[in-house]
Amino acid sequence: MADQAEVQLQVRFVTKQEQYAVPDSPYAIQSNVQSPELNNLLNAILKETKPLIQKVVEFDFLVCGELLCTSIAEHLQEKGISTEDTLEIEYLERFPAPKPQECLMHDDWVSSVHTHGSWILSGCYDNSIHIWTTKGQHKLAIPGHTSPVKGVSWVSIDGDQASFASCSHDQSAMLWVWNVARNSVDCVVTCRGHDKGVECIAVAVDAKHFATGSWDNNICLWSASLTDEDNVPAKKRSKPEQGNSRTPKSTLKGHREAVSAVKWVDYNTLLSSSWDHLLKLWDCELGGIKQEIAGNKAFFDADWSPLNNSIVTASADRHVRIYDPRSTESIVKTTFTSHTGWVQSVRWSTTRDTLFLSAGYDGQVKLWETRSPRTPLYDLTGHEDKVLCCDYFDFVIIVKIALKSLALVIPRTPLYDLTGHEDKVLCCDWSNPALLVSGSCDNTVRIFKAKHATASA
Amino acid sequence: MPPYKTGLLKRKISENTNKTEDNSSNSSCDDHNLITGDLDKEEDSSDSDNEDGVVPSDTELDGVVFDSGDSLLSDDAANESLEESSDVSDSEEDEASDGSNEESDSDKSESNTEGTNANTAKSKLKPDNEDSGAESGSGSALRPPRSPRSSRHNTNKKPFKKKEFKQTKTVADKNANSSVDALEQKIKEVQVNIQPVQEKDEYESGDTSDEEGRVNTAGEVPRWWYAEYDHVGYDADGRRIARPPHADRIDDFLRKCEAPDFWRTVRDPSTGQEIILSKKDLELISRIREGRVPNAEHDEYQPWVEWFSGEVLQTPLRAFPEHKRSFLPSRDEQRHVARLVHALRMGWAKTRRQLADERRRNKELKFYDLWGSGAQEEQPRALQRHIPAPRRPPPSHAESYNPPPEYLLDDKEMKEWNSLEETPWRRKYTFLPTQHSCLRAVPAYPRFLRERFLRCLDLYLAPRAIKMRLTIRPEELVPQLPAPRDLQPFPTDEVLQFRGHTGLVRSADFDPAGQYVVSGGDDATVRIWEAGTGRCLRTIELGEPVRLVEWTPACPVTQRAVRVYDLVKQELVRKLLAGAQWLSALALHPAGDNLLLASYDRKCIWFDLELSSRPYQTLRLHAGAVRSVAFHRRYPLFASAGDDRHVVVCHGSVYNDLLQNPLLVPLKQLRAPPPRDQLSVLQVRWHPAQPWLLAACADGTLRLYA
Repeated sequence: MADQAEVQLQVRFVTKQEQYAVPDSPYAIQSNVQSPELNNLLNAILKETKPLIQKVVEFDFLVCGELLCTSIAEHLQEKGISTEDTLEIEYLERFPAPKPQECLMHDDWVSSVHTHGSWILSGCYDNSIHIWTTKGQHKLAIPGHTSPVKGVSWVSIDGDQASFASCSHDQSAMLWVWNVARNSVDCVVTCRGHDKGVECIAVAVDAKHFATGSWDNNICLWSASLTDEDNVPAKKRSKPEQGNSRTPKSTLKGHREAVSAVKWVDYNTLLSSSWDHLLKLWDCELGGIKQEIAGNKAFFDADWSPLNNSIVTASADRHVRIYDPRSTESIVKTTFTSHTGWVQSVRWSTTRDTLFLSAGYDGQVKLWETRSPRTPLYDLTGHEDKVLCCDYFDFVIIVKIALKSLALVIPRTPLYDLTGHEDKVLCCDWSNPALLVSGSCDNTVRIFKAKHATASA
Repeated sequence: MPPYKTGLLKRKISENTNKTEDNSSNSSCDDHNLITGDLDKEEDSSDSDNEDGVVPSDTELDGVVFDSGDSLLSDDAANESLEESSDVSDSEEDEASDGSNEESDSDKSESNTEGTNANTAKSKLKPDNEDSGAESGSGSALRPPRSPRSSRHNTNKKPFKKKEFKQTKTVADKNANSSVDALEQKIKEVQVNIQPVQEKDEYESGDTSDEEGRVNTAGEVPRWWYAEYDHVGYDADGRRIARPPHADRIDDFLRKCEAPDFWRTVRDPSTGQEIILSKKDLELISRIREGRVPNAEHDEYQPWVEWFSGEVLQTPLRAFPEHKRSFLPSRDEQRHVARLVHALRMGWAKTRRQLADERRRNKELKFYDLWGSGAQEEQPRALQRHIPAPRRPPPSHAESYNPPPEYLLDDKEMKEWNSLEETPWRRKYTFLPTQHSCLRAVPAYPRFLRERFLRCLDLYLAPRAIKMRLTIRPEELVPQLPAPRDLQPFPTDEVLQFRGHTGLVRSADFDPAGQYVVSGGDDATVRIWEAGTGRCLRTIELGEPVRLVEWTPACPVTQRAVRVYDLVKQELVRKLLAGAQWLSALALHPAGDNLLLASYDRKCIWFDLELSSRPYQTLRLHAGAVRSVAFHRRYPLFASAGDDRHVVVCHGSVYNDLLQNPLLVPLKQLRAPPPRDQLSVLQVRWHPAQPWLLAACADGTLRLYA
């Protein structure tokens, strides 16, 4: 390090965010500087060149396509790049640290969570479904299932009437209608077709149908229409105690173990992950497999992002992996390792193509930047138990902070470790770009607010 | 006569004729007459009807031949026969007179050269030949027997008779000179008459038909078939060939005495005719006997044209390029050579020299060495394993007779030297460096005899020997096992704890799908858990502590389980004799045939039931009693749990190949919770599909390792 400190580097700053553009002139800097020093330097330059920008802006620096977390010299040494050439450093406004915002207390473990608009839907191990506002107000507790609820998903929110679907270990999925004004909920349809517990649910983009994956190794496709005149025979409708029940439009068979997650890629293509170490892309109209990606471990969750067309997966180990669905070989594009327990849930950001969220059994929710594979952007600690689900949210709502801790793991470098959960985090959700939501075994749903970066807004 | 001989004969004749023409220009006037006469005769005959014209002349010849044969018997008989023959036909006489004429001519020529006799005869042949050559049928006309001929004899003879008479008158007196001469003449005539017909045809007409006609066409049949007849076969025209008159030994003897040409007379076996070989023929035979080229014309020493030579011509005869084969090494030859070389190397084949040596050795007389002591004597014992003597360092300057002064001991060193009198091995030198003025002044070494004696004692009492030392490194004793990281997946970390039980958990099990876990323990509850999250879904209270819980197995397993149990029981009986003292648990490999036993005396015992009833391997992986063992249903994994706070995961792959033993590799030692009541893990179970291990722990938790 001592001799490296002597080395002078020729650097040039470039950016894709035009409001922060600086003149294209090379600067000589010491090679042992880290991003805070670079940040100071850049802010000084900006103050000279652009007097309009008053406040101090936090930047992240990309060197050779990877986020700078250590000193430049170490970074270059890792990459194997000479220090003699002029180095191009791309900078972008730092994604601001999400702030713990709300803690929604449940009676039991939260198995799944989904946000839509200002509403949060959570499924619980005490067989109930809960509706919350993003402000933390409990709207409704819905008993209906006879076994733990494993998946919930909003179908549509249309003024006063909202509909959502849920699935449970009682081998059924249910379609509900919630009248917002009267705050009354009604089970419209019960979907029966699986032989074992239903593990996951995903509603298509056009909200016309949804898919469920189950422990009986099958994926079923269902119509999401609230009226059932078209596809349910009269006999079944007449059964009073079951309400309206519905049979699957089609069943996709192919997995050899439990299906752990289903995701819609487009209106026709379905992504599924399973405990049999396979990711499969299904053609729903033909009912066949379009593509198969094999992993090494059982997959617990998978998510696909339309922004960068890649799949992020959580499997039965400490790693989060990104796959390219277009490649025929099962090659992992990037592996992200920071969790200390199994990763249970992953979600892409809906607005930024390089950000995603992961929740694990170590009680942590982590915010990742794909260009920084070794360290997550933020750890969202707060859960005390396994985080079972997470979601990503949109609204900027200031709520009283109910978090135990918000720790920026390495404050100098852009990583965020959002702590708060005390147990396994079972789920996370980021459907709303500004809210990161996670559900955990410590009976809470925690909401983290992602402050809008001015550039990305 | 073989065809080649006839060919040669013909050639000779042609030469002879040339020669005779040259030589006997004088004597040929009569011949010319004769020839002309003959020609005339032939012309006549040719003019007349073919057969008629030719036949008589030939029959006459025939008659002459056979008569001559007769006449050879005895002078008297010959005379008589002559008379008789003359009686029989005029033509014979004519012929005879003809012959006598010729004889007289040839007599003259004989005076010149002996050899010309035959030649002249042949030269006379020629015109005849020419005659008959004109007539292809003339040659064949020789054969027919006399009987048919006699009828037309008179009529046919007349025309040429007249002409011949004119000539014969001139030599009539000579004719009667001597019967012996006449015989000779006749023999020559025979030669004259026979051979020309054979030879001439081809030269003149190129037609070989007459030659064929001479041949006996009776075919390849035994000659005795014709023994009863007076003919020996048929010629080409179907006429009989008359049997030659029989001649006994006496006749032969007489002929031998009388006929000068007897020694060169041979008999044609097919026709029975006697042929006198010409000088050329004899020469030919002699050449063949000597092994030279039969043809005298052939020049053995004519200049040799080297058609296939190594020298490169300016304009090569062979314009085409050399074939690829000519410069590629022959594969076949190569293979052949390789085979030979291999055989030589392996000692299957031997070279000629080796064979010769062997033969010579075998030939040598061998004596048993009565006084020899045995085979060891062949090699002296000392040379068998020669150990070179250790090399001594070269002498230093101090050892010199005149060492440099710095090597000489000064006073201080001398004092030290003297002080070490008692312990001489501590001295700097084994000797005292001494300076001498010259080499001559060096005294004799005083201890020479003693040291030589000690050296001899050394050699005698302490012979050097090779000490064998085994170099075995401890790593080599460890069996070669694959690295654990190559045998993934296997559980490496504890990932989940199932908390809920208040007493120690005695037993746990997965459901067949791997979704749920059931456990029971001393807190008198049975709990059902979600395997993936560790969530307790249901708790069932029982009055008594639970010893064992097991998920209802799938139907087909039950019967097999019973059968397996029987097997195990048998093996256990034997096992107790074999190894462990108290068995705690057993697990059966999902493929059968392999059994794992856990015992309280810290051992896991692997049995390959097909191999033997003895343990295949005993694994001492635990420091305490082994409580439980389990096989994974899909992965080649097994685990054992003991009281030593460890769960050990091992790789145990079983091969279908009976020759390959199971491969057992210890993979990972997983930490179990601290013991309570000296118990740590009571039971281990594998997830049915994933490589996850569930341990029922004494502290009231279930732990999932993955």
